[in-house]
Amino acid sequence: MTRASRRTGRPRHHPPGMILALAAWPILGTVDPRDRLRSAGKRLTDPAEALAQRVAERVVDLVVEVLDVNALMQRLDLNAVLRRVDVTALLDRVDVTALLDRVDLNDLISRVDLDALLARVDVNDLVQRLDIDELVEQTDLGAVIARSSGGVATEALDAARSQAVGMDQFIDRWVQRALRRNHPGPVAPGEPDGREPPASPDGHAPALSQPGQDQ
Amino acid sequence: MSGRHAPGWVTSQGHYAGSVSRLLAFLIDAVVSVGLFSLGLAVANLVWEVVTGHSVHWTRANIVVAIIFVLWEFFYFGYSWAASGRTFGMAVLGIRVVGTDGAALAPWRGVVRALVFPLSFLFLGLGFLGILVQREHRALHDLIAGSCVVYAWDARAARLRFLARDAEPSMNGSAPGPAGAGSAPGPAGAGRPGQAGGSV
Repeated sequence: MTRASRRTGRPRHHPPGMILALAAWPILGTVDPRDRLRSAGKRLTDPAEALAQRVAERVVDLVVEVLDVNALMQRLDLNAVLRRVDVTALLDRVDVTALLDRVDLNDLISRVDLDALLARVDVNDLVQRLDIDELVEQTDLGAVIARSSGGVATEALDAARSQAVGMDQFIDRWVQRALRRNHPGPVAPGEPDGREPPASPDGHAPALSQPGQDQ
Repeated sequence: MSGRHAPGWVTSQGHYAGSVSRLLAFLIDAVVSVGLFSLGLAVANLVWEVVTGHSVHWTRANIVVAIIFVLWEFFYFGYSWAASGRTFGMAVLGIRVVGTDGAALAPWRGVVRALVFPLSFLFLGLGFLGILVQREHRALHDLIAGSCVVYAWDARAARLRFLARDAEPSMNGSAPGPAGAGSAPGPAGAGRPGQAGGSV
C-alpha cells in the first residue's frame, strides 16, 4: 500500500501503465499528478459559478420587470391548478402549531370587524342549540341564578303554577275525550291551527318549558 | 342532570289558560278582595267610633255596606283588568286577560268584563262552563267582552331557577340529588316547574 492510500484509508487503484511507471519512478507513488489539475480547475470554476449566478439573477430581474404579472395571473386557470394540488398532503406537511406560534392573535382579532361578524350570526338559532341544562350544570351560572332570583316564595310560586298547569291539562284532556273531540282547538289566541303561540302580552318571547306531556 | 332532559321542549306561554289556574286565581282574588273590604270596614268602624264616640257595627248585611261592597268588587276586578290585564290572584297563578288576538286587553274591555262578570254566576255558574268545554276556554264574560285568559308566566325563567337550585349543591361540592325518585327538586311535594304539565 502506498503512502497516499494509507492517508485516505482506501487502496489506490492505478492503471497497469501507471503501475509500471510507479515502479520505474518512485515519487509518483506519493504524489498524484491529477491533484494539481483538480485545484487549477477549482480555481477556474468557482468564479465562473459566481458569475453565472449573478447573470441568472440579473436575467430573472429583467424578465420579472418586463412581465405583466397581473395579465399572467388572469390567464392562469387557478381552479385547474388547485384541482391538481393535493391539499391534504400539503396540510399534512404544515406544522400548524409552529404556524400559530408565529401568528399574533391579538393583532388578528383587533383587525376583525366584530359588529359585521355578529350581524351575520343567527343568535336565536345559536341559543336554540344551547343545552341549557348542561350549561347550568357545568358552570357557575346555576349558582348565580339561584343567588340572584332564588327565594322560598319564588320556589313556591313556581311549584304552584306548575301544579296548576298540570291539572289544567289533565282536566282538559278528559274533557276533550268526553266530548269526543278529535281535533284539538287552538292553543293560543290568534292561532287558528293552534300550533305556535304568539309572543306573550308582555312582549317577551314565548318561554320554553319542558313537559313530557301532550299539549 | 342531563339524563333527566325531556325530549321535546314546547312552549305554553301565551296558550289559553285552563280551568284550575283560573279557579285558583279567582279564589285568591275573592279572599283578597273580601279580606281587604273587611279590613276597610273594620277601620271605618274604628274611625267612626273614635271620631263620634258612638260604637257602630257595620256589616255586609247593611244595604249601604252591601252596595259599597259590590262597587268595591267591581273596582277591584275592573281596575285590575283594565290597568294591567290581571288581578292579584291571576298574577300569582301567572295568567293574564288578553284580547282575542292575543294583544293586551283594551282598558274598556277590562271594564266591560268586570261589568258582565256576574252574569257568569247566573244559573249555577253556567257561564263558567265555557272555560271547561269551549275550545278557547272562554267563559260567558269573556265572550261578551271579547277577551280570553292565557298563561303569562315565564316558564323558562322558572326552569332556570329550578336547574340553578338543583345545580347549586353540586357547585358547593355536595352531590346533587338523584334524578326523580327521592330527590325533592323544589318545595316538598311540588312538581318541577316545566315538567309533567308544569310548564307554561
